Amino acid sequence: MKQLSRYIDHTLLRPTATKEDITKLCQEAKTFNFYSVCTNSCYTKHAKEQTLNSKVKVCSVIGFPLGAMSTKAKVFETTQAIKDGADEIDMVMNLGLLKAKNFTSITREIESIKEQLKNKVLKVIIETCYLTDDEIVKACKLAIQAGADYIKTSTGFGTHGATLNHVKLMKSVVVDKAKIKASGGIKDYNTASKYIQLGVDRIGTSAGIKIVTDK
Amino acid sequence: MYLSQYIEYTLLKPTTTEREIIDLCYEAIEHNYHVICINSSFVPLAAQFLKDSNTKVCSVIGFPFGAMSTQAKVFEAKKAIEDGAQEIEMVINLGFLRSKNYVSVFKDISDVKSAIGDTTLKVVLEISELNKNEIVKACEICVDANVDYIKTSSGFSKGGATLTATKIIKKTIKDAVKIDACGDIVDLETGMKYLEAGVHRIGFDAILSKKTKKAKTISYKTTA
Repeated sequence: MKQLSRYIDHTLLRPTATKEDITKLCQEAKTFNFYSVCTNSCYTKHAKEQTLNSKVKVCSVIGFPLGAMSTKAKVFETTQAIKDGADEIDMVMNLGLLKAKNFTSITREIESIKEQLKNKVLKVIIETCYLTDDEIVKACKLAIQAGADYIKTSTGFGTHGATLNHVKLMKSVVVDKAKIKASGGIKDYNTASKYIQLGVDRIGTSAGIKIVTDK
Repeated sequence: MYLSQYIEYTLLKPTTTEREIIDLCYEAIEHNYHVICINSSFVPLAAQFLKDSNTKVCSVIGFPFGAMSTQAKVFEAKKAIEDGAQEIEMVINLGFLRSKNYVSVFKDISDVKSAIGDTTLKVVLEISELNKNEIVKACEICVDANVDYIKTSSGFSKGGATLTATKIIKKTIKDAVKIDACGDIVDLETGMKYLEAGVHRIGFDAILSKKTKKAKTISYKTTA
């Protein structure tokens, strides 16, 4: 099992976050050896500059948090984020398409984003708080089919974040065909370690420092 | 006076389906609402549905956080217009505003404005997140950038329009830019107060109006 800090995407996504907040986020990620920082796409370039010559990777969210942006705009936001230095992309699935069972459009969208990434990591956020169990299962299968590297539980801005039951369900579908990132509401070591025991490979949290220092 | 000409009818929740957008369009036509406001993935469908009606299509972009890269905001806006949107609603970059990086706030808006030409541009300030000075500064930047409407709220933050903030906005911009008040406005009476305070549009959410069963009241004729 890897070091706890290496599970963490050190995250700051609130819309009022300033450039100075992002500088601090990157500094903390370097100090605490977090895997990455995760920011909105307006700060990707700055985050890259702040983490250059370090092990810390840069994640950019795309189509965030609603996932209801046009596919072409999601693809463009992705290519711009990659140009700006993003190492990983966390995109939000179009939940309206999922609810309407328009599955082909979902996989096409994910594939067209994955195509921009070549070898970089794509995480697909399914926003479990709005989904039935059947929809969670279907969302996982579609994401795997379309080439997602990670399936991520939540944006952190829905009605709630990750739950242990949802992650168990996801793991039963995903097995080893993709990795799982648990996010939203994970604020302490005990909670984080429960998700790790369930087999998640990454945790999205703004409470990374508390989590690693709690231990 | 019919209120419907002032109404902007919105449906923006992330789980919105095509069926719900079609229903929104039917309602908008029935009540003769001025414009519907939707996420950009639904613009082609809505534009097709409303093409022979009086109701316009407004696409939100960089919504609701306003924290997307400027280049991506520009692209999303241009794509939405190509797909049939007649208005664009963007969210101001709150982080840049908070840092007092006014050059970047201005550039974010003016790049979108330049890209969309004559298409109506609305900028959401998200007043529930801002202090008075930030509201004033944001308004000044919007005036400089030749924005068409300043909108109070996205409907996704902790609060919506307030009469206090609307008065601050009105005092700052006077008649240079129009105002669109939205968020928590659920009935005729409240809508009228905002019109009296000088707003030109009222944003009315499709879901909220059904919950409060007030939808029918807003297109009634008033005695004003």
